[in-house]
Amino acid sequence: MNSAVRADTLFLNGRIYTVDGERRWVEAVAAGDGRIVGLGSEADVRELAEPGAEIVDLGGRMAMPGIVDVHNHVLMGGATELFELRFPGSLGLRDIVGRVREAAEKTEPGRWIIGSQWGADLFTVLNTSEALEALDEASLGRPVLLRDETVHNRWVNSEAMRLAGIAEDTRDPEMGSFGRDPKNGKLTGIMIEAASGLVERAAATVGKYTDEMDRRAVAKAVKTLNSYGVTAFMDAAAMENVLAAFAALDDAGELTAWAAGAMPAVEPAFMFGIAGDELFAKGKGLARKHVHPTYVKVFLDGVPGARTAAFHEPYLEDPIHGCCFRGATMVTYPDLVRWLGKAESLGLSVKIHCAGDAAVTQALDAIDVVRSFNGPTELAHHIAHASYIAPADIPRFAELGVVADLSPMLWYPTTFLEGHKEVMGEERATRFWPNKDLKEAGALLAGGSDWPVIPNPDPWNGIEGLVTRRNPSGAFPGVALWPEQAVDVATAVEIFTINAARAIGLGDTIGSLEIGKSADMVVLDRNIFETAADDIAATKVLATYFEGRPVFERA
Amino acid sequence: MSRRAETGSAIPVTVLTGFLGSGKTTLLNRVLSQPDMSGTLAIINEFGEIGLDHLLVETSQERLALLDNGCVCCTVRDDLVVTLKEVAAGQIAGDVSVDRVVLETTGLADPAPILHALMAEPELAERFRIAGVVTTVDAVNGAATLDSYAEARKQLAVADRVVLTKTELTDEAGRSAVEHHIAALAPSAVLSVSGEVDPTEFVVPVGDEKAEAASLASLLKRITDTGRHHHPHACGEEGCDGHHGHHANAHDGIRTFAFVIDEPVEWGPFRQWLDYFASIRGADLLRMKGLVRIAGAPDQPVLLHGVQHVFHPPKKLDAWPSDDHRTRLVFIVKNIPRETIENTLAKFAGVASERLKGVAA
Repeated sequence: MNSAVRADTLFLNGRIYTVDGERRWVEAVAAGDGRIVGLGSEADVRELAEPGAEIVDLGGRMAMPGIVDVHNHVLMGGATELFELRFPGSLGLRDIVGRVREAAEKTEPGRWIIGSQWGADLFTVLNTSEALEALDEASLGRPVLLRDETVHNRWVNSEAMRLAGIAEDTRDPEMGSFGRDPKNGKLTGIMIEAASGLVERAAATVGKYTDEMDRRAVAKAVKTLNSYGVTAFMDAAAMENVLAAFAALDDAGELTAWAAGAMPAVEPAFMFGIAGDELFAKGKGLARKHVHPTYVKVFLDGVPGARTAAFHEPYLEDPIHGCCFRGATMVTYPDLVRWLGKAESLGLSVKIHCAGDAAVTQALDAIDVVRSFNGPTELAHHIAHASYIAPADIPRFAELGVVADLSPMLWYPTTFLEGHKEVMGEERATRFWPNKDLKEAGALLAGGSDWPVIPNPDPWNGIEGLVTRRNPSGAFPGVALWPEQAVDVATAVEIFTINAARAIGLGDTIGSLEIGKSADMVVLDRNIFETAADDIAATKVLATYFEGRPVFERA
Repeated sequence: MSRRAETGSAIPVTVLTGFLGSGKTTLLNRVLSQPDMSGTLAIINEFGEIGLDHLLVETSQERLALLDNGCVCCTVRDDLVVTLKEVAAGQIAGDVSVDRVVLETTGLADPAPILHALMAEPELAERFRIAGVVTTVDAVNGAATLDSYAEARKQLAVADRVVLTKTELTDEAGRSAVEHHIAALAPSAVLSVSGEVDPTEFVVPVGDEKAEAASLASLLKRITDTGRHHHPHACGEEGCDGHHGHHANAHDGIRTFAFVIDEPVEWGPFRQWLDYFASIRGADLLRMKGLVRIAGAPDQPVLLHGVQHVFHPPKKLDAWPSDDHRTRLVFIVKNIPRETIENTLAKFAGVASERLKGVAA
């Protein structure tokens, strides 16, 4: 059972959940050279110890494999923590404006105030001339850019629009639009989808982060991830600067998580730099032991709250779109087929952002085409945000070997959902996240945070949400989102460990505690299988081990 | 640049290829020596290689030579595609009237990207059309060359016409060995022996679409006939290079597959299927040719011609070029199994396998 390599570290006296079907629970784990060399009883692993091996007494606590987050944006997450104004999505207009005022007083004239994140349900409140006036007043002349919680849309002040060259007579950009007050047709500072990029770009040309800042932001983000027990992730918009920061940290021995990257096929609205072929070629050179730029990212549609997601059925009628508007995809179907074909020929998988059910159908259709021509593959394409799915498409995930990327962690009532209800009506909006149906149809479900869309990349919140379908924070009391779609704790744990590991192409290296796999482990303050389901989100990580060494220890 | 370009009709380009020492320069020399080849622009790699001195009348520019029968030779500066673009833009031979182009590749060139450029790059596609690919194969060394060099195999696989050279230097057995290779790799090509045919025929006649369709029809007939009669070189389940003993695996997975469809096909789904094919497996699609009988217009066949990621804009012809009005398709592919073509044709174009006749299947 045990490997020939000697153990330099022994983890003893634990209740260790392996996620390995062969033996779910063990008492002790032995690690050598960062890999697991033995599991079993204390006696089993003691035999493997080299003289002077370090002993970690788990004190009877639960331990389990490190968490794998299948979808996040670490550089943005870290930069938000380090360099930007943060406020919760629950704030109303007056409080947001108040925070901006405080920040403006501390910001030099000419410098940007960049903040996040306002709730998707605030859209109609902010999309007015009065709100813009309040924001302008609070900003004391500084340009202001505030991201919404979907990170697809922005609310900016008049100075920011001026710097971005946006005036009343400016035409909407392709794949985006400027918010206008329905009462008078004037600009409100709301930037929808690609319009956000115009202002982000203006901000980036002034306040662009240096390589050093990128590295600090990624290092900070990885520390944050480690503190929640995350030891592997996929950055879902891995631009060159993101990959370069990963590679630099790994070269310095400071990257304490496995980092997969999905490289955008086309430059996204919110991050800048090379994309497509040029980026894929760069990605090869930035691959490292812990850096795996092996995915392509395609943004097929937008988000439901801004009516930019593509649906089979129309949104509710509104003054701007009129009747029968279903949203649209941002990539044509032939182009999607071509990107998939190209990615497969380069040995890359594709993560496809699909927020609406029509986008999901189109992505599955395109993958079906590629499978038909290319035959079976080891590559695992992802449908990201696999949340609104036509019932007929559910079995196709398993048939086509497509991963359901479950992110962001919105498997329960949230302000996002309230925004969806406004545009789709309650009944359709709440047919959200058919996780159990997907599981029963054999799909590989992989958990992700989409941090910083979610303010904290906290998987314990996510695991509770998968199990209860109720908001772990206590918001929306008494309401569950489509509770029939709840999964059990063991499934939720798999979703955030072995499944996500397989999804990012590292299923043989991480995701469960087995001999030969990386000794990535978290120690918890409770046994999540024994605690009440609505207490799982309160779980604290006591320590996180990456390749056998501690990378986080709770003070 | 020329009267043809001015009247808007595309200039036919014959691509002449063949491995090092296979005699393509000799063949080109003979073609250019014919009295009625005026209006031919030959794009060649260098003057020295072709030994044209005896034909030269004048050398007007460093890269141009005028032959006494009115042909013009132009040497390649960067690569063939760049040179062709210069010709298209009138930067080379701009004052000369060009009726046809013969383009000689280097002995190690892969002709597929050149064909692809002729079809895919707008400035070339609007000026030129592909008249055909002529590949020279040396009867003495050809078999060994084809066994050893992937470049030679690819040159042969895309040929419309194969010219066997140096036959006088080999015996029956040697010639049979090389013909065996040719039948396996280029079953759809017309095989001629150098010296037995009028050299101008090698430059496929400057034809219109009708002539092109007719030659395609006879080509398709040859393939399908071959199949039906279970000729040893038939294109069967395993493709046209099937079970031929020692070199069965020596062809880099290059296969020729032919299909016949009796019933008319629905054009929309069929076109979509072709587009999928080119998008996803374009790199492995060396050439594709076909005549398609479409539902709604069964008397007007659609002529198809594809190389790698591009298809010529499909042309609807006024009439069928022969009595056979069935859809016939020929694919020259690399590492694509026959069943992939069959299954995707059924799935996306709605041509169920039972309606599909693989030749000799």
